[in-house]
Amino acid sequence: MAQREIEVIIAPRKPHFVGDGFRVHNFIPSTISMEQMSPFIMLDYGSKFYFPPSDKPRGVNVHPHRGFETVTIAYKGKVAHHDSAGNSGIIGEGDVQWMTAASGVLHKEYHEETFSKEGGDFQVVQLWVNLPAKDKMSSPKYQELPNDKINKVQLSNHAGEVEVIAGNYNHVKGSASTFTPIHLLNVKLHKNGSSAFQFPTAYNTALLVIEGKIKVNDTEVNTDHLVVFKHNDETFNIQAVEEAKVLIMSGEPIHEPIAAHGPFVMNTKAEIIQAFEDYNKGKFGYLEEE
Amino acid sequence: MPLENFKRYIQHHTQLSDTHFNELTRNIRVEVVKKHTRLLNQGEVCRFSFFVSKGLLRLYTLDQQGKEFVIQFAPEDWIVGDRSSAYFNQASDYFIDCIEDSEIVFIDKQLIDKASDIDKNFRTYFDTLLHNHIRHIQKRISFLLCATAEQRYMEFVNLYPDLMLRAPQWMIASYLGITPESLSRVRKELAKKHFKL
Repeated sequence: MAQREIEVIIAPRKPHFVGDGFRVHNFIPSTISMEQMSPFIMLDYGSKFYFPPSDKPRGVNVHPHRGFETVTIAYKGKVAHHDSAGNSGIIGEGDVQWMTAASGVLHKEYHEETFSKEGGDFQVVQLWVNLPAKDKMSSPKYQELPNDKINKVQLSNHAGEVEVIAGNYNHVKGSASTFTPIHLLNVKLHKNGSSAFQFPTAYNTALLVIEGKIKVNDTEVNTDHLVVFKHNDETFNIQAVEEAKVLIMSGEPIHEPIAAHGPFVMNTKAEIIQAFEDYNKGKFGYLEEE
Repeated sequence: MPLENFKRYIQHHTQLSDTHFNELTRNIRVEVVKKHTRLLNQGEVCRFSFFVSKGLLRLYTLDQQGKEFVIQFAPEDWIVGDRSSAYFNQASDYFIDCIEDSEIVFIDKQLIDKASDIDKNFRTYFDTLLHNHIRHIQKRISFLLCATAEQRYMEFVNLYPDLMLRAPQWMIASYLGITPESLSRVRKELAKKHFKL
């Protein structure tokens, strides 16, 4: 049977700190370009890391975003966030926050207070999803997706479970709404459990091994590695070599020019200059620094 | 790469040919430096002007209590140095530090003299740069004496559009001659006026 083949397996790069609370390996755009993985334009992965107790929560201070969405998935630990539109909340283990920055917000993200005081393992993914030109200046919005609100599919033969964050899996709709077609799945597989996944050939598709070791088609892939797929076919297979957790992303590419500078991702340089000007003039609002 | 940026910059402003540029810069000092690297110490004679190919520098002084006062920021395509120290061969009152990992081209007097011999536009351009620097300093003095915190801030973001996202707030407040609290207040007031939900 024809299979969607692996294009490349990428080992995690040397981690760097975003602020003082997020120790991350960047995959997109440093090892694979924004254009190649569109609509996924940034992937920072904080592999499991122990943070000792701290009275002052670690994190990232006030910063703006415009032109895209940020998707934060907490696997271990808890993230507290605030924004200039007055929203705030806590992303706990298994929860997902889908923030549409669109025309612009300021936000800050920190280890949640109690977690920070007690210390512990921290493991998160932050994924930036590009918006098509027509939606880049739409109103910002939030989709808080606590784990119990994320739709789930039990796999046959007790192989495991799929959390459908966005898109769909086996006719079960994802919990988040998206601007362009995207499938985002958290897959939990028991040892030897396996399942096939099917996405349109043209979609850019990748998976990140969060826990355990898996086989993709017949190739072994270790924890913390990213698998990027070719566009030769629709279906690939995953089998857990040991108890495993995998994040699968697949999306229809947005074929528009990308102008990216720091926290702004637009279509033209003029729009980037405008974003800086708007930010400087307070058009993203105000948020107190920590 | 740092030298390529310097070449692009120079050739944008003068008629220096590739051959002449290569000849002039054969032994030029180019350094890739880490954040916090010091390029000039107070008390030293400043021998170079620093062209920023990548990164961000600041020129500052300290008062007797050790409080820092930022005189100038230099992001990409800026040239920073202590001209009076260099010209009068005097100890500098200033420090120059890297705020980010940076790529720097070291410009000395010899290079400018040689370049001016080759291309008279080069001397004219360096004179223009000097006058531009004087204009900048005069404007800065008048803003520090006469302008409100908001006016100073707006002038700052016009001159350095992306620095609010690159330099710490306290450094920007120091440059503006206001407290960090006043800078926050200015930004809060602007947001009140311009932010629409």
